[in-house]
Amino acid sequence: MNIVKKLLKARWSSSLIFLVLLFLITGLANASFLSYSNIIACFNTATMYTLLAIGIAFVIMTGEIDVSIGAVLGLSASVTGMIAQEGGSIGKMLICVLLIGAAVGLFNGIGVSFFGVPSLIFTLGTNGVLRGIIYMVTEGRTIENFGGPVAVYGNMSLFAGVSLYYLITLVLVVIAHLVTTRTRRGKYFIAVGDNAGGATLVGISVLRTKIIAYVICGVMAGIAGYVFASKYGQVMNVAGNGYEMTAIAACVLGGISLSGGLGNMVGAAIGAVIMSSISRLLVFIGLPSTYDNTITGVMLIAIVVVDALTQRRAIETARRKRLLNRTESKPEEGGIQA
Amino acid sequence: MTILKKLLKRWETFLVLFLILEFVVFGAANPKFLRPASIMTAVVNYISVCIITLFVTMVMIGGGIDIQVASIIGLTSIIEGVLWSDAGFNIWAAVLCAVAAAALCGALSGFFVAYCGVQPMVVTLGGSFLYSGLALLVSGMSATPAYQGISGFPEKLKGNIFVDFRFLGKGELFGVPFQIIIYVVLIFFCVWLLHRTKYGERLYLIGVNKEAAEYSGINTRAVIMSTYVLAAVSAAIAGTLLTSNVNSAKYNLGSGYTLAIITAVVLGGTSNTGGKGTILGTVLASLIICIMRYGLPLCFGVSTQNLDLPVGIILVVVVLGREIAGKHMISSLFRRLKSRSA
Repeated sequence: MNIVKKLLKARWSSSLIFLVLLFLITGLANASFLSYSNIIACFNTATMYTLLAIGIAFVIMTGEIDVSIGAVLGLSASVTGMIAQEGGSIGKMLICVLLIGAAVGLFNGIGVSFFGVPSLIFTLGTNGVLRGIIYMVTEGRTIENFGGPVAVYGNMSLFAGVSLYYLITLVLVVIAHLVTTRTRRGKYFIAVGDNAGGATLVGISVLRTKIIAYVICGVMAGIAGYVFASKYGQVMNVAGNGYEMTAIAACVLGGISLSGGLGNMVGAAIGAVIMSSISRLLVFIGLPSTYDNTITGVMLIAIVVVDALTQRRAIETARRKRLLNRTESKPEEGGIQA
Repeated sequence: MTILKKLLKRWETFLVLFLILEFVVFGAANPKFLRPASIMTAVVNYISVCIITLFVTMVMIGGGIDIQVASIIGLTSIIEGVLWSDAGFNIWAAVLCAVAAAALCGALSGFFVAYCGVQPMVVTLGGSFLYSGLALLVSGMSATPAYQGISGFPEKLKGNIFVDFRFLGKGELFGVPFQIIIYVVLIFFCVWLLHRTKYGERLYLIGVNKEAAEYSGINTRAVIMSTYVLAAVSAAIAGTLLTSNVNSAKYNLGSGYTLAIITAVVLGGTSNTGGKGTILGTVLASLIICIMRYGLPLCFGVSTQNLDLPVGIILVVVVLGREIAGKHMISSLFRRLKSRSA
């Protein structure tokens, strides 16, 4: 019983319930949706968004934002594709991708936390610079026609239809979740986002924590770029454009507060699945895919508005209770004084 | 002397110097650049961003942010197209309906931000999905395929002179494109609204300290909501001008402008934490960006696809420089040098 209660209280449980409801409603509209392969496909297609979402979740938890991850994805996907065209090994691709992600993350982190530039502005600038670099690296070409092991792994499924990449992503989600909830340093991210001043007072380096968050975010986006290239086998110059907004939306759906200090990784992963399966659900309900953005928008706004209203109500009731306690205890105090 | 010092401390002075530098460099590289006609073309090419930044500045001064305006450009455009071509409305009635619809969109997001207390970034992110999705749905009501765009707006071409609806985007008054005249009028309107009225004063106060503003009797919610409505209406104006200029109503017009708009506002010195920023700064910043986007390809042969790079570099360098200068690193360095020489 206790475990059930604890689960229901967890912040990501509402997003999980929401996801299950979405699946059930779709199943009611079209029973053929509720087959194993369809549901697994929903998770498999969420691979890239999940990677981006858990990466940016670190940054959002510390109370900052990173809008350059779409461009990081584009750059690392292009580089992966170009290495594949030359017949390079997967190890070389991964090293390049990780280096790109870490370098961009370090740059963002230093700009935001050391120099104190507002994060939206700074990462916006990084976004522009990276888009330019992509263009210079690829000379404006679309990177395509690459074969070899990368293209094979992209659509490989290990067991029961779960793709290799989604399995690795799941492992990363679990690691990220355990790190942020179980380890001491992992809890710093939430602590810094919740109350930076308080965190400094107890001896946490806000500067270092934020830089690490940005580096993790960049690395995750880099890996997502590798997955992009491997999965689609074709990388255009505009690859990853707008992915940052989807990743942020996934985090919001997963119950991570954009003002920081609230939320967890499982929520972000569930949010990513919701975001990426909407278009598939629409097909089964029988609506054309043109409804995609409308439904996403309505859902996003509805969830955050409901969340804000319930939070405000909780604060109100807590305040009222506090005031009530105070007025009840007052006569007693008076009695003692008299 | 004190005036000079005061001027040097202002961000706008730096922007003006930067703008002059651009003119000198581009003018030296290619004298054709300095013709008034080409400079006006530079502004006309970027007029949507120029117009919308004026009002997004206000949203950001009030402590919010608006990333949905770009999707409202497309929504306005397609509503005008569908009402005019498929529903048989008079074009001006269609424009009015589209502007009203945009205002409604802005009011909806503004309501959630101001009255429900949701973070503005999240609401307008949802709004950008919602309104671009609606635009696509509206385009589905038309007989014209969505990718094609509805064209053939009334123009009654007489020689080379555009009249009627197309005058908005193509017409000229005294040799100046009509779009630029609208932009100038809007600049004066914004300067008046933000720097000369009680409304503007209240907006700054809300941006600096919302609670203090609330306690001093300002209806903060109504003011905040109004900024989102204004931003949406400005997006509708930009969408109408763009539709008229390219003679095509499409659901995805202006879809890539979000980051460009925020970049220009921020470069103009508006802080996204609220309470800081001027219209003049925003105007100068948008001019700097559009002249750079025009000048680099014309004078130095930079590919038009690769214009994000210089704009991004300038944004990063400028905000870093401003932060460093703001921390008095430079002034303290000067002081140290002075004391050493003395």
